[in-house]
Amino acid sequence: MAESIKNKNIEIVGFACSYCSFKASEMAGSLRMKYPEGVKLIEVPCSSRVDPAFIIKALIEGADGVFVAGCHPGDCHFIKGNYYTRRKIAALKEMFNAFSIDGRLRLFWVSASEARRFVDKVTDMYNNIKEKKK
Amino acid sequence: MRIGIFICHCGHNIKSTVDIEGLKGHFREMVNIACVEDYPFMCSEPGQALIKSSIERLGLDRVIIAACTKTLHQDMFKNLVRDAGLNPFLLRRVSIREHCSWTGEDKDKNTKKAMRLIRAGIYSSAHYEPLEEKQVEVNKSALILGGGISGMSAAAFLARAGMDVYLVEKEDELGGHVRRVGDVWPIRERGRDIIEGMVKELKTLDNVHIFTSSRLVSFGGSFGNYEAVIKTKDGEISITAGGVIVAIGFTAFDPSVKPELQYGVDKRVVTTLEFEENMDDLPLKEGSRVAILHCIGSRDDTIGRPYCSRICCINAIKTGEKIKNHIKDSYVESFYMDVRSHPRGGEEFYEDTQEKGVLFTRANISEVIPEERGVILRGEDTLLGMAFEREFDLVILSVGMSPSKDNHEIASLLKITLDKDRFFLEAHPKLRPYDTALKGIFIAGTCSGPKDMEESINHGRASAVKLYGLLNLGYAFIEPFVAYVDPKRCSGCRMCEQACVAKAIKFDDNLHIVKVEEAACMGCGLCNATCPSSAIALRGYKDTMIDDEISALTEAV
Repeated sequence: MAESIKNKNIEIVGFACSYCSFKASEMAGSLRMKYPEGVKLIEVPCSSRVDPAFIIKALIEGADGVFVAGCHPGDCHFIKGNYYTRRKIAALKEMFNAFSIDGRLRLFWVSASEARRFVDKVTDMYNNIKEKKK
Repeated sequence: MRIGIFICHCGHNIKSTVDIEGLKGHFREMVNIACVEDYPFMCSEPGQALIKSSIERLGLDRVIIAACTKTLHQDMFKNLVRDAGLNPFLLRRVSIREHCSWTGEDKDKNTKKAMRLIRAGIYSSAHYEPLEEKQVEVNKSALILGGGISGMSAAAFLARAGMDVYLVEKEDELGGHVRRVGDVWPIRERGRDIIEGMVKELKTLDNVHIFTSSRLVSFGGSFGNYEAVIKTKDGEISITAGGVIVAIGFTAFDPSVKPELQYGVDKRVVTTLEFEENMDDLPLKEGSRVAILHCIGSRDDTIGRPYCSRICCINAIKTGEKIKNHIKDSYVESFYMDVRSHPRGGEEFYEDTQEKGVLFTRANISEVIPEERGVILRGEDTLLGMAFEREFDLVILSVGMSPSKDNHEIASLLKITLDKDRFFLEAHPKLRPYDTALKGIFIAGTCSGPKDMEESINHGRASAVKLYGLLNLGYAFIEPFVAYVDPKRCSGCRMCEQACVAKAIKFDDNLHIVKVEEAACMGCGLCNATCPSSAIALRGYKDTMIDDEISALTEAV
């Protein structure tokens, strides 16, 4: 049992806003950049669409990590949706901190042109979680 | 429910790293799946026919297309589904190319990932509902950024077609780089004359509004009604435009990035552009020895410019020919990597120039050493495999095209994408070379990569035609992804009203609940995430859809 948990693949669910981060992920694909298969995306119109309940649900259902990716502050297509996201995630992290699982949630900003940044961010998160699981 | 799954091979792009047969077998076992089909190219005519006939034959009520990302071919697939008699919002695209086959190398893992992604599509599409696109009025006007030859070509077309055109140029006069070209090959006209002719034409058209010494400072709105603020000499002006064409051109490569060339240090090292502008001021006399260096700022990985700039070979040949024609007994040697004289007539021109006595030497130049008696070139002849050292009176650098320094700023204002070389990225390199990912925003000319004049003009006109086609009707359809309220659940707490950035949520004092003004709703979904009683929901991204996607992505396969 312990062995099977150890060898289990890391699964990360990411919420990506359709205007920036999802575009960056499309570009990362087009440029044939590689990142771990365990990273899977759910497209949302804006990062502010992400209800904290989604994040909790993903973790309860077995995801090892969840990230929310949005436009850089000031660049939100919906003017200030990402500011709401920032506050929501900060509050949620505070709560996760109490359970020592705050490392399993990340928030980052990736613009539509930053395919490399997207890949770096998700790979770093993946490696970090993998390291902790050992 | 009758779900049809269509898996695209995309040639080898998906097939080589995802086990298509495995996917088919997996999904055939699932309930409610009416068919699982695969085809080498779902976007091809037979692929489309396969989808259409399956919908009609099996009476599908959900269509899952697992292929490229949904930014590509979306309108085509939607129309296809609509033609087959199904509401296009019951179509779900699953990206197993950009988000799976291209990003992972392990076939087993990729296949498992594709399974989950397709499952996520199936689960969430179960909650889809038929929707109708909203018709909105569009402003029949265009904002063109950049008054170079490409932007001006676009402006002239659109203005003649009867649209209002706002042409914004950061310099104090129109014309861009072409204005500086002394001798345009092969027509042998001055660039300035060509530009003056175009400017004159634009000025006769009443519906062209030219802003020189101006810049875009802010940008918002959506297709059909983009709102821009232009900072001009006389203050800021707000403009509403239906669409935008970005034609901000390039920056000539600055050779001082390569210190071994001594550009800017010694006056006898000049660029092709400087030569074009003032040949007479250069130290050229009877019997002068001139070296021309190709590929300066092109095909050079060490300075982050791995691409070919396409125009500099012809420029170099033209420069050599001109010196040979004008300077008696001159010795002209051109040092190249490969000569790419690709425009029509270029190869013949290259041969003619060689016959006129310009010497072409395949070489790598390692350094330029300025001495009092002359400039010494040190390098290697790559055909003979021998080092050489030669003395010249003048060194001309055939400089390539670098992305404009403004690209980053414009890209972030307009929220469009740059490629790895920092030129603007097209929506599809073959099928949509003028479009960006945003509807109604097009790119034209050298801002999307090196082009010669002819290509830049064509690119500008093509973008203009595409934009005209979008705006001509005066109305457009936009996606109906707006929020709506379930009156039975709304408690009237008004939290969504406070959160709504678009101010689209209004409180009804009589009923004591909120309602959404659909025209104002931007569709971000913040209200949906805010509502404590799940009374307000965003169409297309409802809680149930996302919840089930999460389940699909986390469950075992």
